[in-house]
Amino acid sequence: MTEGPAIEVRRLTKDFRVGLKGLKLRAVDDLSLTIPRGQVFGLLGPNGCGKSTTLKVVLGLVPATAGEVAILGLPSATAAARARTGFLPEAPYFHKFLSGRELVRYCAHLSGVPAARVEPAVEAAVALVDMTEAAGRLVGTYSKGMLQRIGLAQAIVHDPELVILDEPTAGVDPVGAAAIGRIIEAMRARGKTVVLCSHLLGQVEQVCDRIAIMDKGRLVLEGAVAEVLERRDRHVLTVDALSPAALAAAEAALANHGARLGSVTHPRRSLEELFRELVTGSPDA
Amino acid sequence: MPAAVARALWIARITFLEAIRQRFFAFLFVLGAALVLASGAVRVFDFGHSELKFIADFGFGGLFLFGSILGVVMTAQLFFAEIDNRTALTLLAKPLSRGEFLVGKFLGAWAVLGVFVAVLALLLAAMLGWRAAELAQLAAERRLSPPELDLAGLGLYALLQWLRLGVVVAMVLAVAAAARTFLFAVVVGALAVLAGQLQWLSQELLLKPADAGLARAGLWLLTHLLPNLQQFNLGDALVLAPHQVADGTLPWVFASGLAYVVAFLALATFLFRRREI
Repeated sequence: MTEGPAIEVRRLTKDFRVGLKGLKLRAVDDLSLTIPRGQVFGLLGPNGCGKSTTLKVVLGLVPATAGEVAILGLPSATAAARARTGFLPEAPYFHKFLSGRELVRYCAHLSGVPAARVEPAVEAAVALVDMTEAAGRLVGTYSKGMLQRIGLAQAIVHDPELVILDEPTAGVDPVGAAAIGRIIEAMRARGKTVVLCSHLLGQVEQVCDRIAIMDKGRLVLEGAVAEVLERRDRHVLTVDALSPAALAAAEAALANHGARLGSVTHPRRSLEELFRELVTGSPDA
Repeated sequence: MPAAVARALWIARITFLEAIRQRFFAFLFVLGAALVLASGAVRVFDFGHSELKFIADFGFGGLFLFGSILGVVMTAQLFFAEIDNRTALTLLAKPLSRGEFLVGKFLGAWAVLGVFVAVLALLLAAMLGWRAAELAQLAAERRLSPPELDLAGLGLYALLQWLRLGVVVAMVLAVAAAARTFLFAVVVGALAVLAGQLQWLSQELLLKPADAGLARAGLWLLTHLLPNLQQFNLGDALVLAPHQVADGTLPWVFASGLAYVVAFLALATFLFRRREI
């Protein structure tokens, strides 16, 4: 196994030529980023901020204009680096005339799984994404959620060290999105590195160890989720059965120490939690 | 089996499955077969030779015309389906080189054309064999010599046509690797096939004494870079007038055909290597 981070991006710039005059459009602008191994890393940003382009450069699908990218210590865009990487593209499209199982088998062969291990690897990947029953059906008959899950299966069938997921929950209902979240957590538990591009910020906050936010091709923030979200100048106390008298006393006590009570509210559950609780009987499902 | 070959064969397998599901393939397949079978309805008696030649020309024409259309359109369609539908995004993110991808596409498309050529050649052999037997009987009744027909030569001709279509597929892949749109690839690919078919003309013009100039340079390029697709059309000599092919012609045609396939695939890989997917 080679040393180094899962992904190392150094001063990456990517320009696209557009129109007949070949006007330059800068999609990624001097981006430097290090994604450590064994973590779930969220790459966030508005549409057109350069996330998908960055991932495509990392995978060698698009050549960089300037800069260097390494995967697992190996130069990006080499077959050896891609052999240890799994990728689920945004809004994946697969050959409709293949069944889910045939698709995953096809990808296992292309990913270099030894012939004797292909069938167990296919069944394990299909089972992990909970598609065993539907794997015999043609891909053309799948719903969006099933497409994402079979896409996930083809990305992990060769047991890669690094898995890159571009919008894996796009178009998926909250129950399906939660299921994909659990698969991501299972991959982290097995020591895999997962890079997740998503607009589902609640889920990103829940499953990611670190995040980076891009805007207009540039990196605007990067760090551990717990650190970047914590407001160290504010505090939250959660109290059961707070009476008006106790609230007044607490406010007076805080004032005695030079602090001011900012607000008193009732905690809310998220709509997603409520939906999952009603649909599956558990807010964690 | 080396891993690269195995991966290319998997691409070829899926490409083949995709191609034979296309309505366009079925349409040209049925049209070509109908043309060959329709030749049987022709009755121009000359105790053999004219009628057999007529039937053979129907079959050779069907193989040439529909095979060429299928080779150009199907190859471009199979290539751009992967790019436009973004299935290439999933495939090329795997440890699959772009050369392996293109070789797989080539083998898949060529295999489909192999089925097309084999079925049409078998139909043509059946038509020619059936009619030749009837004409031989008529000739015997009139104490004339039977018509000449070499069905083994027809097999060799079918192999040559398959190789010609292999050159066409490789040439269209090289065009598609650099093209932005399906339509551009089809138009330029078709023009390249037409130019290859007329390449012998440039050879002849080049032999004539003339002043050096741009036109002559263009002719030189046409002659030396484009394959002479006409050299594969040895149908009459192989099937109807056996033993008339000069020694060394067939090995040369096979070798040059294979060399052009390899050269065009190498060019396609070079043009495709930095294409944004």
